[in-house]
Amino acid sequence: MINFAQTFIDALSLGSLYALAALGIGLLFGILRLINFAYGDLITLGAYALIIPSTEAVATLFIGGWPWFMVIIAVAVIVVAAALLSDLLVFRHIRRADPATLMIASFAVSFVIQNVILMFYGSRPKSVDLWSNLNYQIAVGGLRIPLLQIVTILATLVLMGGLTLLLKRTALGIQMRAAAEDFRMARYLGVRGNLVIGLAFAISGVLAAVASLLLLSQTGTLSQTMGVPLMLFAFIATVVGGMGSLIGAATGGFAVAFASVFLQAYLPDDLRPFRDSFVFGIVILMLLFRPAGLVPTKALVERV
Amino acid sequence: MLEVEDLAVSYGGTIALAGVAISVKEREAVCVVGPNGAGKSTLLAAIAGGVPPKRGRIRFDGKDLVGMRAENIARLGISLVPEGRHVFGTLTVEENLFIGTYAMSDRRHAQSDAEQLLGYFPRLKERWRQPAGRLSGGEQQMLVIARALMTRPRLVMVDEPSLGLAPKIVDTVYETLLALRAERGLTLLVNEQSSDRMLKFSERIYVLRNGRILLHGNTADLQDGEAITRAYFGFDEHDISATSEAAA
Repeated sequence: MINFAQTFIDALSLGSLYALAALGIGLLFGILRLINFAYGDLITLGAYALIIPSTEAVATLFIGGWPWFMVIIAVAVIVVAAALLSDLLVFRHIRRADPATLMIASFAVSFVIQNVILMFYGSRPKSVDLWSNLNYQIAVGGLRIPLLQIVTILATLVLMGGLTLLLKRTALGIQMRAAAEDFRMARYLGVRGNLVIGLAFAISGVLAAVASLLLLSQTGTLSQTMGVPLMLFAFIATVVGGMGSLIGAATGGFAVAFASVFLQAYLPDDLRPFRDSFVFGIVILMLLFRPAGLVPTKALVERV
Repeated sequence: MLEVEDLAVSYGGTIALAGVAISVKEREAVCVVGPNGAGKSTLLAAIAGGVPPKRGRIRFDGKDLVGMRAENIARLGISLVPEGRHVFGTLTVEENLFIGTYAMSDRRHAQSDAEQLLGYFPRLKERWRQPAGRLSGGEQQMLVIARALMTRPRLVMVDEPSLGLAPKIVDTVYETLLALRAERGLTLLVNEQSSDRMLKFSERIYVLRNGRILLHGNTADLQDGEAITRAYFGFDEHDISATSEAAA
């Protein structure tokens, strides 16, 4: 029972991280039909922003040494700026392009960000000690829960709550939902296309910034591809959840994390190295039997 | 009020409009009739800024609309109700109705306008907090018309309001459009596939086929429907193009 509860909390914490990233990807997809593979690199960029740019092996904290709320704000500003810049320089010029073209363009943006990071920071992974006191473990009953897991889950709940309020209760949020469902119709009614798109990039940037801080405090290692696996799992999460649905993206994030963590815990020992094959196997079955995802959206069908 | 000259639009290699000219005067009700695929929807979408023209001019109050963004054209006072209704299905009826006033941050008249419009569409009031996707086809059509009027447009363009609706509901839709027009001094530009209703409803009719205007005239002069039928089905091309020039 203790073992199960421990695994459950692990899954919840990993799922939070996936859900954050999946929401960022899902939001952009909903409005722009852009599957942004550069999203993982925004997460990487947020982590690198913490240290002084140098190619030396030892990382020197820059923003990372500031008080925690300043760190969050500064990293969010930097990642949001990068996200908006990627729209301004690349995606804005191919608004009418089909989703495949947009996706390929996002691969290009991804490579550019990775190589810019290589240029300024060198290719060696660096270890960074961010918020190491979060590794402190709290004993609850027989459970030992790292503070970081609780922070991850809480941060995700706060962001998801904030996002829900924004989308449901504010004039801008309602316009975003309308635009996500039927972009052209929204513009016929006066909704400013570039405003809602800019806002979507900005929100996805905030989510990426928080994801990068949580990821870095977990792993403690910087590398120029550190965001890629998270992006990949988050993308799978949006597919499993149903492309175009935000509730689906969050649900998908948790679903993928639970599958992954529970397989890790309960697979026979000699099968554990193949955990991801089992996860992807489940995803394939899911796509075969429920191709529209856990939370199907009508909007997607109508747009095509 | 609205002048369209020599408007041409293509999708890829397919020509949708091949040099169309129409004009609409203030407070007129004008109808564009034509078979499926004639280019009617493209015409309205081009005016509303939804598809870029290949050539031609579109003027609204003397202002050139070509190249303008759809959201800015909406702000000039042109509202399009596209074919197929396009409600935001996951948004509530209320959210659907207010979207335009949110977008234009003009909420002074929003509440009173909404109440007045709900007087015409009492069914919407009953469904106020429900997702618009759950409404019936007729209710959705009423919602999109009410939604288009919330920003107080001067020109309302309606693309095939009768599509997929029972005749009785279509009658209601048209009666409401006419009543709203009288009350608010609206100018209407409406597309339809069939001309019968149009002859009662509008002052002038254009017949559009294969991306060209084949006939244009006052409704009063076309009451027997003979010329429209010929233009519509494409008999006597020479004869009709002569008529169309005379009418223009």
